[in-house]
Amino acid sequence: MFKKILIANRGEIARRVLFTCREMGVTTVAVYSDVDKEAIHVIEADEAVCLGDAEPSQSYLNIDKIIAAAKQTGAEGIHPGYGFLAENAEFAARCEQEGIAFIGPPAQVIRDLGDKITARNIMLKGGVPVIPGMTQAGANPKEMAKAAEEIGYPVLIKASAGGGGKGIRIVRTPAEIEESCVAASREAQSAFGDGTIYLEKFFDKAKHIEFQILADNQGNAIHVLERECSIQRRHQKIIEETPSPAVTPQLREEMGAAAVTAAKASGYVNAGTVEFLLDKDKKFYFLEVNTRLQVEHPITEMITGIDLVREQLKIAAGEPLTLKQEDIVGRGHAIECRVYAEDPENNFFPSPGKIVYIREPSGPGVRNDCGVYTGFEVPVNYDPIISKLVTHAGDREQNIQRMVKSLKEYILLGIKTPIPFLIDVLQSQPFQKGEVYTDFIQTHFQDWKPQFKDEDIARLVYIVDEINANRRKKTAVTADNEIPSPFFTLGNWRLN
Amino acid sequence: MEYKLIVNKDTKPVEFDTVDNNHLKATINETEYTLDYSLVSDRQIHLTVNGKGVNAFVADGPEGKCIIINGIQYIVQDEDVLNQSSTKKRGGSNLPTEITPITPSVVISVLVKEGDRVKKGQSVVVLSAMKMEITLSSAFNGTVTAVNTQDGDKVAPGDILVDIEADDESTEDEKSEA
Repeated sequence: MFKKILIANRGEIARRVLFTCREMGVTTVAVYSDVDKEAIHVIEADEAVCLGDAEPSQSYLNIDKIIAAAKQTGAEGIHPGYGFLAENAEFAARCEQEGIAFIGPPAQVIRDLGDKITARNIMLKGGVPVIPGMTQAGANPKEMAKAAEEIGYPVLIKASAGGGGKGIRIVRTPAEIEESCVAASREAQSAFGDGTIYLEKFFDKAKHIEFQILADNQGNAIHVLERECSIQRRHQKIIEETPSPAVTPQLREEMGAAAVTAAKASGYVNAGTVEFLLDKDKKFYFLEVNTRLQVEHPITEMITGIDLVREQLKIAAGEPLTLKQEDIVGRGHAIECRVYAEDPENNFFPSPGKIVYIREPSGPGVRNDCGVYTGFEVPVNYDPIISKLVTHAGDREQNIQRMVKSLKEYILLGIKTPIPFLIDVLQSQPFQKGEVYTDFIQTHFQDWKPQFKDEDIARLVYIVDEINANRRKKTAVTADNEIPSPFFTLGNWRLN
Repeated sequence: MEYKLIVNKDTKPVEFDTVDNNHLKATINETEYTLDYSLVSDRQIHLTVNGKGVNAFVADGPEGKCIIINGIQYIVQDEDVLNQSSTKKRGGSNLPTEITPITPSVVISVLVKEGDRVKKGQSVVVLSAMKMEITLSSAFNGTVTAVNTQDGDKVAPGDILVDIEADDESTEDEKSEA
């Protein structure tokens, strides 16, 4: 096992990796940019190295600086978290060259699976069902139109070189295909520097079901059950659950086996996720492999009791998998809600700022992977994720109640959060019934507004707080001033 | 005593009397409330309102007090306090009249320079906050009198990024008559 590892990330995921390292007695090195000097992952690590400017290319994306930090501190391995360099094959290769263990799959696997077309071809060869589509990317609109005829409308145009919603277009009729291809290619060129696109069949009522995989470097691979991530906004997941209400034991076995085949076919090592699309006829198709630990991994941990980061460290240290497929059993139901610093009343615009006060929910089956604390200034330069709130209970119905109660208890002052939105989604009829597809938010929550039921109570609270307001000012005054000015000690006054 | 308190653009008068320590009687639009409260911490207040327990969390913000009850944030403002501090703004525009960010951001690009003529609604500055792009636009026809920022600057709400002098309204009327 490693004696010391460096975590090449920040916020809640860096902290979460730190937790497991501390349990295992592995010394931890954090890296940080100038604005993260007092971030939670820095203050909780054993050692920390400053990378420099907040701009990601100068800090969390800067391979040279991170490798230098690892060498300077003697870190034997690097955990990349998710995002940033987690799926950067060049970074994984540099680690290999420098004799530092990259806690993830080999660089070549990242490269292969990172290219959508290569990944599809690996799966086709391996016998994994793949979404009907093109096996060659291109850019010629006339060729695309012909391919679309073969696949059958509606089709989805996707960028070969990237994701995140860029270069994606749905085309329903032959009349639109050529123009849409030109536009999508242009968008992809501008976002990724590569305008090649390809087509897939588009499914209207589809569910996004993914399987967690673990593989060691000795050819053993297992799946650790599924997660359903159909609730998304702008192609970003916001609520995830396991088990999926749509996956029967039979389907679980078939899809799980396909996920393991995908792992073996690509030579996968360490933790990853195989994503599938489940159409309304319960047929499943390979979408892509995410060659990293995912944001939503905690829900898998809650139903299985497995610590996925611990497994990652063991695999990276060369140990064989001790878990066998027949050991993998899920108990109960888990949900994760992503809590971002966003304003749900203002088109979910980012709402950075200082966390004036945070009170995390607690109780049976409640877990909050949190990257902030009271007084922390959320930087504007990175993803606005505050925490992931996870609940676990005996069954789905009970768990939804547990998550709603926990969201209501979760207090974050100083920023706006989508908590009221999440509560309404979870309490909605379609969600309760499990009628959840990737168009859920557009279909049911397009013009959502919060329900303000306690306006008069809020007014009463205002008054109580106002007539007792000096209790807060008093603490500030004693910290800053030696001789308190009468303007502060007089208490509240107004002209009447 | 009476406060006029605004929540979601709705102003209501709240009359109250402090009866004993931590005990109030209040009336809002003829509904009566009896409440006991404890100051659990700097931020948390527990109230018993007409017999029902409520936990509320409070922070002071630039817009008023931010109060969280049952997972929902309410911004409550005192009308008298607002009237004292607000400056009279030019009426009739639904764009903010100052070119200032709504959230701490980084300037991606300034689209105008000193001396430029701008139209109402014209984009003036593009900002980035948390990987989202936000465009600020001019609230009226006018001329740029000063550009106070440049690409790459970190800016905050209250910083006036571009000064625009609005066209004199009488000039407009003359033009439309001619």
